[in-house]
Amino acid sequence: MRSRYIINVFFFLFSLLVFTQQELYTSYTISDSLSANANAVIRSNDMRVSLKSSSEMHVVYKRIITVLNKQGNDAVDAYVYYDNNIKIKELQAIVYNALGVQIKKIKKSDFKDVSAVSGGTLYSDSRVKYLEYTPIAYPYTVEFTTEIVNENTAFIRPFRPIDGYNVSAENSTYSIIYPPNLEIRTKEKNFELFNLEKTKNSNEISYKVKNLAALESEMYGPTFFDISPMVLVAATQFSLEGVESTAENWNDFGKWMYKDLIMGTDDLPQSTILKVQELVKNETTDLGKAKKIYQYVQDKTRYISVQVGIGGWKPFNTSEVDRLGYGDCKALSNYTMALLKAVGVKSNYVVLYAGQSQRSFEKDFAAMMGNHAILNIPMEDEDVWLECTNQKVPFGFIGNFTDDRDVLVVTPEGGKIVHTKKYEPEESVQHIQGSYDISNEGYIQAKVKLKSKGIQYNSKYSLESETERELDKHYKNQWGYINSISINEIHVENNKETIEFMEEVSFQAPNYSKIVADRMLLPVNAFNRNEHIPDRYRNRKFSLKVKRGFTDLDEVEIKLPSNYKLEALPKNYNIENKFGHYKAEVVVKDESTLIYKREFVVKDGEFPKEDYKKFRDFHKAVARYDNSKIALIKNQPN
Amino acid sequence: MGLSFALSVSAQDYDFGDVSKEELQETFNSIDSSAHACYLYKYRRTHIEYNQATGFQLITEVHDRVKIYDKEGLDFATKALRLYKDGSDEESLVGLKGYTYNLENDKITEDKLKKDGVFKTELSRYRNEKKFTMPNVKTGSIIEYKYQINSPFITKVDEFVFQHDIPVKTLVAIFETPEYFNFKVNTKGYIPISPKKSVKSGKILFTDKTRSSSVYGAQTKFSNSNINFKKNVDEFNLSDVPALKAEPYVNSIDNYRSSLNYELSFTRFPNAATKNYSTTWEDVIKTIYRSSSFGDELDKTSYFKDDIDALIGTTSDPIKRAGMIYQFVKSKIKWNGYYGYYVNDGVKKAYKDHVGNVAEINLMLTAMLNYAGVKAYPVLVSTRQNGIPLFPTREGYNYVITYVKENGQGFLLDATSQYCSANVLPYRVLNWQGRVITEHGNSQLLDLYPKELSMSSVSMMVDIDDEGMLTGVLRDFKTNHKALSYRINYNESNKDEFLEQLENKYKGIEISDFEVKNENDLSKPVIESYKFVKESQADIIGDKMYFSPLFFFKVDENPFKLNRREYPVDFGYPSETAYRININIPEGYKIEELPESGVFALPDNLGTFKYNVSGIGSKIQVLISTKINSPIISPLYYDDLKMYFSQLVEKEAEQIVLTKV
Repeated sequence: MRSRYIINVFFFLFSLLVFTQQELYTSYTISDSLSANANAVIRSNDMRVSLKSSSEMHVVYKRIITVLNKQGNDAVDAYVYYDNNIKIKELQAIVYNALGVQIKKIKKSDFKDVSAVSGGTLYSDSRVKYLEYTPIAYPYTVEFTTEIVNENTAFIRPFRPIDGYNVSAENSTYSIIYPPNLEIRTKEKNFELFNLEKTKNSNEISYKVKNLAALESEMYGPTFFDISPMVLVAATQFSLEGVESTAENWNDFGKWMYKDLIMGTDDLPQSTILKVQELVKNETTDLGKAKKIYQYVQDKTRYISVQVGIGGWKPFNTSEVDRLGYGDCKALSNYTMALLKAVGVKSNYVVLYAGQSQRSFEKDFAAMMGNHAILNIPMEDEDVWLECTNQKVPFGFIGNFTDDRDVLVVTPEGGKIVHTKKYEPEESVQHIQGSYDISNEGYIQAKVKLKSKGIQYNSKYSLESETERELDKHYKNQWGYINSISINEIHVENNKETIEFMEEVSFQAPNYSKIVADRMLLPVNAFNRNEHIPDRYRNRKFSLKVKRGFTDLDEVEIKLPSNYKLEALPKNYNIENKFGHYKAEVVVKDESTLIYKREFVVKDGEFPKEDYKKFRDFHKAVARYDNSKIALIKNQPN
Repeated sequence: MGLSFALSVSAQDYDFGDVSKEELQETFNSIDSSAHACYLYKYRRTHIEYNQATGFQLITEVHDRVKIYDKEGLDFATKALRLYKDGSDEESLVGLKGYTYNLENDKITEDKLKKDGVFKTELSRYRNEKKFTMPNVKTGSIIEYKYQINSPFITKVDEFVFQHDIPVKTLVAIFETPEYFNFKVNTKGYIPISPKKSVKSGKILFTDKTRSSSVYGAQTKFSNSNINFKKNVDEFNLSDVPALKAEPYVNSIDNYRSSLNYELSFTRFPNAATKNYSTTWEDVIKTIYRSSSFGDELDKTSYFKDDIDALIGTTSDPIKRAGMIYQFVKSKIKWNGYYGYYVNDGVKKAYKDHVGNVAEINLMLTAMLNYAGVKAYPVLVSTRQNGIPLFPTREGYNYVITYVKENGQGFLLDATSQYCSANVLPYRVLNWQGRVITEHGNSQLLDLYPKELSMSSVSMMVDIDDEGMLTGVLRDFKTNHKALSYRINYNESNKDEFLEQLENKYKGIEISDFEVKNENDLSKPVIESYKFVKESQADIIGDKMYFSPLFFFKVDENPFKLNRREYPVDFGYPSETAYRININIPEGYKIEELPESGVFALPDNLGTFKYNVSGIGSKIQVLISTKINSPIISPLYYDDLKMYFSQLVEKEAEQIVLTKV
């Protein structure tokens, strides 16, 4: 799902402050606490936003950053986006060596200037000017200065003293100046560990914070936005593409979106309305009708992202989508909404952050947010969510792209924050039923059936359209721990109605079971070995967060080779803790048949950082037991 | 007879807009059922035309008809065209016309590509991009478009590509040039391609305007004159061209894509001298050598004179001088990431700014060496990404390094990476052969693949306890390319992160006393050492313990999984990994069984695997080495290679058995 909703245009702008403190340019004055774990240190970050009116915003930005090593180059971030509404008034960078001596000055005209078309976007009228600089020695310091004027005030750059991992900040200031007729709202987040100084008077709010140590990314950690300190800023009276609006809460905000962005875009041709009404005429329920419409959209359209002018915020007209058969997430969601309306099914436009990280909207702070659009159909029991940019996903399945997060649902009556569907571990089940035979030479012949549901369906359904060759590769990699495996038969079935993916595979491999003198060592778990061990941290900083849980249930019949008999079985094993549980047992059915049963459940949730080691130990234990072997011994000739 | 017949048929079949119901009804490709889409017709005609106002122009006409079989195939409904520009000269796209055809209720419907489906983007100073996306495309649709690109850059004829990521049913390609232009043809790939050649006549019409005054007033006269000439025509007709499918461990799949390249070799206009572009490698090299962005830059010395004099003043040995200068350039000038054998801002500016592209750095190095009396030559290289320079073209190469020849020894230098040393070149450069440019622009080929083995020798002393916990110390010596990649990795990373990554690579190992030696002393092997603990390294079943003597260093997977392979396996450099492991077994156990020692080899001395496990009392000694002697292995040996790795995985999985006393 490669959708993109360019609402989070980056506004990089800013500062005329003249620092006289020469030590900001030398690299030797950085304290140890700031250089720890840091690839770069922001020496000074100063952003001054000045609203002249609700349709004129000046942003002056100055950033002095010392880069300590090669990884730190990316943190220089000396770039500025612009388009028809954003004029760059100033742009300059000066590079200093470690002693603080100026070694290069880069003028506005020497910045690289390219189209800001990102992957997945066909066209955008946004452009970017960026600094291209090859460091000749580390550390070095860059002073980056910009000033821009923006006619859009719907987005005001937040105060983010640090904007990435492994970057620390010495001094950071932010101010916003505004005329008396404008109201400014702010929200401070994740400053618990820092001393954030705030001053506010009738026409200015300013912030100051010092000495923020670098954050490090951790596996199973919270997302960056949940830990990094920031102040969100919004103007209650704002302008977007020349249209003035007022919104101070999500309800107002939703009203505005509905009125200015959605309303009036529905101009479906009568012929299409009649066509879809005909299509659903035998459906008696809203759900039935919605499924038909969704199928219609999937067959008719494809995802193409074009971001031009207000088109960056506003969906295309539905007649356009109807004619062209393509659109971006806004256009396709809006089109689907219009078709649903044509058959009498009510649905709502939804704005959200897409992506695996489950970033939520701020419940108590209304501002332009999000990078994607989907659709919501309110239902008696459980709302239906529709991803309209994907031609393959089943009706109502949203997967890890938009699941389990707070989103803005836009209705004619106003906006509201709603939580999208969460896939519980109990419904995200993979069921394995299989059997394998071991020959006297240790050869394995196996047949297995896998059924996946819930979030486990997410990683499977694309297999349906893979070629045979790709499938062969897929299964060889899935069972990469079996040497010289050859896949014999593959059959996959995608049940979009029940949202269940079924795979039937048979394979064989020599020397699966290792012969050691007159014994044979047989790895019991052939189909589903968990080899994942979470990374080790000497000093875990953040809480443990398991975003999505799952359940694996395996039942496997094992046929032993005729010349061998059972000598020793692995001990049955059962662990249960707050992270989930694991249970493995081998039962003797008869002298040549064993039944292996395995249950592995991982629950989602957030746990204190002290639990991380226990969580890792749990996975280590599972990996160890998944690697258990049965000892067989050769029958003694009578 | 056959050809002309076939031609007229194809011309009729694929008239623009003449899409048939049968084509629309097709649900899969009959020759490749896994294809997501297919070019039913792919036509290109490139020709050179004269226009009095603009001079010669290169004109390319394209007409494609594409069938979309499934949803993955929808990607082919969007097309991006790169258009080059240079100052006021720029390529232009004209006459774009497109339709989408669908079958609805047994009737063919058409949707026209309109302006709102066409987008222009300025990518950089030298490149524009035009994209278009077709309307109303779905599974089963056929899209058809045609357009023309007019280019003032007549020496740059885009490659004729015959093999695509999807199959092609009928392909027609035509290249037509006036007799004044002579092009060199280069082909690559596995599909045999040969053009049908013919000659046509052409005419250029000149209009002359003369003005004369007389007593009756001014008068303008027009007169026309014709120049008749011959046109050489190459025509290619292919049908049912299979899709090109990617395979792993290939340096660049484009090396194997069937295609053909026309490169201008010389022009000969009436009453004018022949002008050479390039024909042979000698010509190519001369063109490059004579360019002011190459040869002239080699001759400049004034900018570094004083610094180099001071640097080498105390030594006269050329090899020592070479070493000093190489070190000097590496530490002084940093690479900005740009490739090329031509300088960008010039060596002088690069020297002053301490930053340069590949050519600036290595041409400067060559010039300094020559200045110091060391015999050094530039070497043109095609990087792994750029593919193999099979035919003499200027685009064949994209990189330059330095060759030093002194006292009968020769070695290659690249100063773009500070961790490189003599004959240890960056991985990107290890690609077949380079071309050394000797005096006066003569040249010869030089193998770029390293001859010397890159070693990793691991020695390890471990104790295993009765619960399978492993405690030990490890020391790893790395040389040449293994040392190079280690140095880049280690020196350029955050040390804590490096250690964490190392621990995670060996899933759950816990490391202490980590130390790296010689990470910056390139004259010695880099040495990594540490203590470690790792749990559950043995299976304990009943009164026996089972474990692999290589523990976590065991190779678990055969990298070669496919049943067949078309392309060579490219390792980049020859290498050896050797393990010497001493294992102390837990008290109360004795050795019951050790895996048999063994050796197996790839044919023609391409590689060997040696495996030796011996034990006495409570000590076991393990000696295992794997060696690949050739950087590149032909697909003829693929089965052997696959088998070799399979045996290696098997052998390394064999178990030591201990029994309770």
